[in-house]
Amino acid sequence: MSTWKRNLLAAPVLLWIGLLVGVPMVLVVALSFLSRDNLGNIVYQFTLDNYRRVLDPIYLRVFWNSLLLALLTGVITLLIGYPVAYISANLPPRRRALALGLIMLPFWISSLLRTYGWMILLGNTGLINNLLLALGIVDRPLPMMYKFGTSLVGTAYMLLPFMVVAVFNSVDKLDRSLLEASYDLGASRRQTFFHITIPLTLPGIVGGFTLVFIPALGLYFVSDLLGGGNTVFLGNLIHTMATRGRNRPLAAAFSLGMVALALLVLSLYWKVSKDKSGEALFQ
Amino acid sequence: MKQPLLALVNLNKYYGDVHVLKDISFTINEGEFLTLLGPSGCGKTTLLRCIAGLERIESGDILLEGASIKELAPNKRNVNTVFQNYALFPHLNVYDNIAYGPRMKKSLSEAELKKRVVQVLELVQMSGYEQRMPHQLSGGQRQRIAIARALINEPAILLLDEPLGALDLKLRKYMQTELARLQRKTGTTFVYVTHDQEEALNMSDRIVVIDQGQVQQLGSPREIYNSPANLFVTSFIGDRNIVPVRVLEVGEERARVKLGEDSVLVRSSRTNGKALQAGEEAVLAILMDKMRVSCEEAENALRGTVASIHYAGSQIRIEVRVADRILTVVEYQKMDCDCAVGDAVSVTWEDSGAILLPKEDGWEERGF
Repeated sequence: MSTWKRNLLAAPVLLWIGLLVGVPMVLVVALSFLSRDNLGNIVYQFTLDNYRRVLDPIYLRVFWNSLLLALLTGVITLLIGYPVAYISANLPPRRRALALGLIMLPFWISSLLRTYGWMILLGNTGLINNLLLALGIVDRPLPMMYKFGTSLVGTAYMLLPFMVVAVFNSVDKLDRSLLEASYDLGASRRQTFFHITIPLTLPGIVGGFTLVFIPALGLYFVSDLLGGGNTVFLGNLIHTMATRGRNRPLAAAFSLGMVALALLVLSLYWKVSKDKSGEALFQ
Repeated sequence: MKQPLLALVNLNKYYGDVHVLKDISFTINEGEFLTLLGPSGCGKTTLLRCIAGLERIESGDILLEGASIKELAPNKRNVNTVFQNYALFPHLNVYDNIAYGPRMKKSLSEAELKKRVVQVLELVQMSGYEQRMPHQLSGGQRQRIAIARALINEPAILLLDEPLGALDLKLRKYMQTELARLQRKTGTTFVYVTHDQEEALNMSDRIVVIDQGQVQQLGSPREIYNSPANLFVTSFIGDRNIVPVRVLEVGEERARVKLGEDSVLVRSSRTNGKALQAGEEAVLAILMDKMRVSCEEAENALRGTVASIHYAGSQIRIEVRVADRILTVVEYQKMDCDCAVGDAVSVTWEDSGAILLPKEDGWEERGF
């Protein structure tokens, strides 16, 4: 088949990606170089002012908060998600389907509702505090809401299924005879896990981390509701600028700053994990 | 008497309700090449995995050098396995694959290890391949690396699970001689699983024929080929004509039997406990390639008519109708007589090529 014919076959996909991904991206990039008037209307006049403000040191703190939140979310979901995925993937077929179903179940409920659920749990008059008070473990309610940690718990909870599904798939593909070969050659279960299982499921770990890290960087309603705005994250900042701040060009510039941060961190991460896992895995 | 290297004692294994290994008992001697031969699903691979420790046994015992190993985890047993699909670690290069065992057991310093890796690579004729990744190797090369990875641990027994199954015919033949060479050179005891009778007959010191989870016969390739113990072994090993006959008289080692109009004197099976009685039905098995067709009347022969003649390269297959049965004769050189389809002929055979066995229940249904 000639090259142009093959490209023709890909046309519907390219069109789809172009319309739904390419065009919006171009619009955001274009918007980020425009100005606005006092009422928030777009003024079609080229400026670099928006980017100057993105690079302003007072916003560095916000970038840092978001980066920390996203990295910690990645680590927490990995630590919780890996064992869950590993155990589920090794269950007999029927119970496996049930386990996967249970992991996906929260997706059936609005994420906003689930976030309110956390408020009911963690609030000063919430379930946990009431229980602790009733049992006499504490005298006054533990302040658990509106902290960085609260946002972290909420975000990690929200994104955990992505990690589980990504790791599940790679554990599922793992050739069991390799584990047997490892035991047979004299390795203990622990040695087998660290020398065989982890390196061979690294694609799942990398995939899961990527799937969790990117949304964690931009997710704003969880930190809005659970963090109460005490820690400002990029997502909250962009949301505020685009709505109440009436500055969509600046919001667009910050969005692209966030994309740049994500690409930077992920490219570092991919490079390190690829180096460690050998070329055969990524072919 | 010298103690056997490995002894299997009344070993039983179930998968749920399925009894896959039934009272398996035999011993393996140091330095021998022992083959577990049987059709797929007979339990031979399961037996190998029980020895490796990858399967638990429900009852019985496994003794290695006199000590029970049945409770030991696979990593604590001094045996190593070459897996059917080789199971090389895809993320490690050849060197690290081979070094895996000693590193996990911390049995060698890195300097000694390096020397040993070079040695075993030389042994399997793969020197210089240290830095290759498994996916850069051909099937035969992977096979050699898998063997090297096992041998570096100097196991008391090397277990091989159909290691040649995935290779093409030519390479398979070559690797047969190669494996036999390796076994002689290292003096390691090999326990080899296969469903291929030719492989088994070619390489083994002794063969254990297994069917339906039971040992059917244990012996040298020669014994098994020439004196099969029962109908299963008779049909599984060698190409034979298997026909029902009537026993006329029973002697010390031979019996006179009748097929159609003719009666012949044949060797009767001694390995099977049940003695034949005159007047009963029995089964006569004759190796196709030990038979001859002749145009003249002959001693101790069956008379029949030629039903068809096929020329297949170096061999000629002649089908002869005797009574209501078709016997197939395979001749390699020129035929004794220049017969054509429909001619009356006599069929004879070398005495060692025929054996008389007792009838077993349902043997015809099992497709013998």
